[in-house]
Amino acid sequence: MMPLDRRDVLKLAGAAAVGLAAPAPALAQARPALKIASVETLSGPGSTVNRLWSLGLKYGIEKINAEGGWNGQKIIYAEYDTEGTTGGASQKTQAAIADGAHIIAHGGSSAIGGQITEDVRKWNLRNPAAKVLFFGLGIEALELTGAKCHYHFFRFATNADIRIRALVAGMKAENALGKKVFSINQNYSWGHDIQAALEQSAGENDFTLVDKVLHDVNKIQDFSPYAARIAASGADTVFTGNWGNDLSLLLKAVQAAGLKVRFATTFLDLPGALSSAGSAALGYFHAELWNPQAFGAFGQELWTDYKARMGTVPSTSEAKSILALLFLQQALKSIPETSKIDVDQIAQALERTSYKAPTGDVTMRATDHQIAWPIVVSKVEQGAKFATDGTDMGFVPIKVIPGGEVLNAVQASCKMQRPS
Amino acid sequence: MKLYVRIALCLATGVVLLAPLTFSDRYANLAIRMLVAALFASAFNLLWRQARLLSFGHGVYFGAGMFAVVHLMRANEAGLNVPLILVPLAGALSGSIIGVLCGFVATLRSGAYFSMITLAIAELIYSLGPRWQALFGGEAGVSSMRLPSMGLSFAALNEVYLIVLGWSAVGFATIWFFAKTPLGQIAFALGDNERRLQFLGYRTHAVKVYLFALSAALSGLAGGLLGVAAENVDYTVFGPASSAAPVIQTFIGGADVLFGPAFGAALLTGFGNVFSDVTRLWLLYQGIAFVLVVMFLPAGIVGSLLMGKKRPLREAIANTLAVLLCSASLIFLCESASILLSDSYSSLRASQDGSWVSYRLFNMELAPGSPIVWGLPLIAALTGLIISWKLKGREETA
Amino acid sequence: MTYLLTSLVNGLVFGLLLFMVSAGLTLIFGMMGVLNFAHSSLYMLGAYLGYSIGRWTGFWTALLLAPLAVALLGASIERFMLRRVHRHGHAQELLLTFGLALIIHEIVKLVYGPYPVEYTIPTELARTAFNVNGLNIPLYRLFIGAVAVSMFVSLFLMMKYTRVGLIVRAALSQPLMVESLGHNVGFIFLLVFAIGAALAGLAGAVAGAFYPTGPNMAEDLGSIVFVVVVVGGLGSLEGALVASLAIGLLTTLTVGLDWTLAGALAPLGLSGWAASIGGPFSITLSSLTGSLPFIIMLFVLLVRPAGLMGERA
Repeated sequence: MMPLDRRDVLKLAGAAAVGLAAPAPALAQARPALKIASVETLSGPGSTVNRLWSLGLKYGIEKINAEGGWNGQKIIYAEYDTEGTTGGASQKTQAAIADGAHIIAHGGSSAIGGQITEDVRKWNLRNPAAKVLFFGLGIEALELTGAKCHYHFFRFATNADIRIRALVAGMKAENALGKKVFSINQNYSWGHDIQAALEQSAGENDFTLVDKVLHDVNKIQDFSPYAARIAASGADTVFTGNWGNDLSLLLKAVQAAGLKVRFATTFLDLPGALSSAGSAALGYFHAELWNPQAFGAFGQELWTDYKARMGTVPSTSEAKSILALLFLQQALKSIPETSKIDVDQIAQALERTSYKAPTGDVTMRATDHQIAWPIVVSKVEQGAKFATDGTDMGFVPIKVIPGGEVLNAVQASCKMQRPS
Repeated sequence: MKLYVRIALCLATGVVLLAPLTFSDRYANLAIRMLVAALFASAFNLLWRQARLLSFGHGVYFGAGMFAVVHLMRANEAGLNVPLILVPLAGALSGSIIGVLCGFVATLRSGAYFSMITLAIAELIYSLGPRWQALFGGEAGVSSMRLPSMGLSFAALNEVYLIVLGWSAVGFATIWFFAKTPLGQIAFALGDNERRLQFLGYRTHAVKVYLFALSAALSGLAGGLLGVAAENVDYTVFGPASSAAPVIQTFIGGADVLFGPAFGAALLTGFGNVFSDVTRLWLLYQGIAFVLVVMFLPAGIVGSLLMGKKRPLREAIANTLAVLLCSASLIFLCESASILLSDSYSSLRASQDGSWVSYRLFNMELAPGSPIVWGLPLIAALTGLIISWKLKGREETA
Repeated sequence: MTYLLTSLVNGLVFGLLLFMVSAGLTLIFGMMGVLNFAHSSLYMLGAYLGYSIGRWTGFWTALLLAPLAVALLGASIERFMLRRVHRHGHAQELLLTFGLALIIHEIVKLVYGPYPVEYTIPTELARTAFNVNGLNIPLYRLFIGAVAVSMFVSLFLMMKYTRVGLIVRAALSQPLMVESLGHNVGFIFLLVFAIGAALAGLAGAVAGAFYPTGPNMAEDLGSIVFVVVVVGGLGSLEGALVASLAIGLLTTLTVGLDWTLAGALAPLGLSGWAASIGGPFSITLSSLTGSLPFIIMLFVLLVRPAGLMGERA
């Protein structure tokens, strides 16, 4: 459990006090600083996992500032606690906007992200003079770039379609896919998205989906019945979008039942997952845009520098926060210095930016603001170069798939209103 | 109370209630949430104060109201022209319908059974919530937008506050008035002795269902008001946290006083908003406060203030001092523990060869090895305990 | 067939685990009229203490010490907290335990962090008991069942044939009379609460090594345990056993069934219409596994409000 860094709070309080005291016109004369607000669940259940998104942002912004910031100013960073509820998120989004944030970022939950994206959309409609952008760092529900898409929301993460396409392609190249595939997922939008993506993929590839099951989220104590069902289906490979307990329990139950199946997962890299699954996770596959080994020297440097500065090695969440900022930094370079920050201009720049990551080119699709990262398909192995989660296991990359190859089609439900 | 004191009190209340009209969105939102929580807790307490029915699943009726309102607002966007001021009524309506259905089952039993049934109903709805995409909108929820109505744009939240204030007033008035109606009086009798009421020929189950429906309707109204303000709702509103909130708020405020729950709800909502940014342990402190109130102030804060014995000034001061000493040292110890037990501290220790490196708390540099760091709070807590023990001893001899 | 057999074993074991936790809850309620909201928190504490103590003493000693520690905590909760609010009525007691559950949840997260801890099965039990058509049944699963059964038997024998059990049963129905016969009813209450807590702690220490030991384990099990005691009849040990096994088996067996309400309407020729409405009509039974206990409970309450074996209506 992470403590609240009290220095930050005090700094923030100090900054707020200075902001209040300073006469407003004097500020308007100078070139304004870009302000990024991290609205995340920082207290209550899940706070430690969600805090990682904020830590990554903090580290990344410090790094950009060390290189000179933007617009001749250091980028300002602030944290807001959603208290784990959509209501709290909405409240803190308003607080962040009131404090002058230009960009609001959230990574932890699609439900909270769904609330923030709607709040931001409405705020921008009602206050065209003071628009803000919303960055989705980890929220992967397809709906956010579908029915809920809007011009001021950008997703820097993957989504269910991308993950499944990458996993299928990577495992096929490794001859590890098999002919019979089982789908087990949590019964909510994310699980539905994964299952639908898999059904589609089965049509395009030569494997059959022998059985599929949706189960309650975080309610199942005992996954052995599901292990029995997997055994009954005779599957070679099991695809799951499960996370948290639902993932480690499933892996443990399958291991205890002695089944010989491979798993393809999407959240095995979250903190706690690998350590609680233990040896049950060995040999399983994973697809994500970040992998320290695949990022080569860049990954190594981020790994050691982050550890030196923040005390722990970066997890996927922190890394994805940082990568999103690097993309933003690239985009900001194309915007001339200005006396008034126009977020529409930043949005335009983001759409046009092409970022060269060590794994390949990264672009932001203009039609639905879904980022296209190259995806690293990896395998859990013992003695990996980057040991993860306090274990001796890590994710060894087996294939990098260019972003364009795994990017899903734009959803028909996305009808983006672009500013004229 | 003297007349001018009353007038001053009324004026002050009026000013406090009307002040949010001038606030920016951020604080208007907080004011709305405090008012909504107050109405919700009061609606919950309708069941407890009168019929001694303790519901652990009121989040369902609150959520039902919220969903109804958001769906109605979506219909408004699609061309239905319900004036915004009438929209919260949909919440009350849907709350009462669900309330009659669930209340009929739950009130088959009383006491602990009733509590468990309400809890199970809430769990059931919560587990079904994410299934029904069309109605509950999946994980991302259902979203809508307020449209201008009756010459007001309702873009800023202080305009919405006007609606919330108006309907809350109606809700509170209903609760106050209901206690005076014959049905309300029978409900009181129900809490005292249900068996006797049955012998007198009353159909107590029907009374309980009526009462439950009213409570659910007002909870739905509260949810509806929040729906109008938030414009967005998802199934987590049915979760255990939203059902637990009115219970905690009501009993901290004072369950047997008409406006005790409202006070508790406003207080905790406000504190929660402020403190959740300062400490990770807000929920722990809230839980401890709740247990302490249940154990030592069974009448709640408002109840104790109203009914408490008059104490000499010296004793009151000593009591306050004792409470302050104990809570300060408790907070210090908990915050220290939360830092020292954290991952980041243990990795810091590991990088310093396992030595107990100093940590920062409340702008102080503290060494975990120093006896002062632990001794001082312990002495403070002991002093507080001794003071309150002495006070209690005096009370008993008096 | 394989599926049915393994599911039967799994369901029985899960049911027995449910019984271990609900036995204490129903005993405490039957005796003291207190619905202990913190009971599943004691189960969680048992698991965490088993993990912590086990790191120093090894698994088996921890299996003994953790329930004792939980019993001690239970006893102090009864003596110093519940007894204090007793005069304010059962509702106040219920609220107190509700608050305690909140606090225990937060403290566990404060001390152990929000992730599950690595509480693992001892190596001598980490084996496969037998194999059914290629599907292994772990030995530890049978161990959980054996602990639960031996617990039920000894509890049953104690209540039925010992002098202590006689007094406890007497105090259950006639506390005042038992008190006037010179027995210390307050101490009996304390004892029952401690035993109930110890049972929950034992269940936690045993099950925590197999299921994950995390801060949500109390919440996850808590509401199902409530369902068990309501369905079984509050205060009835036999009822709790029957209800636990029934719910354990049902939730395990339904996982494989993809029935829908729309499908059930097929004989009436309405399945197409129902499927087009969607929502509740197209939910499969397997996806309802987690909600099933609550549906059963509502059904039992409507048909037989006192529960399967409850006496007091």
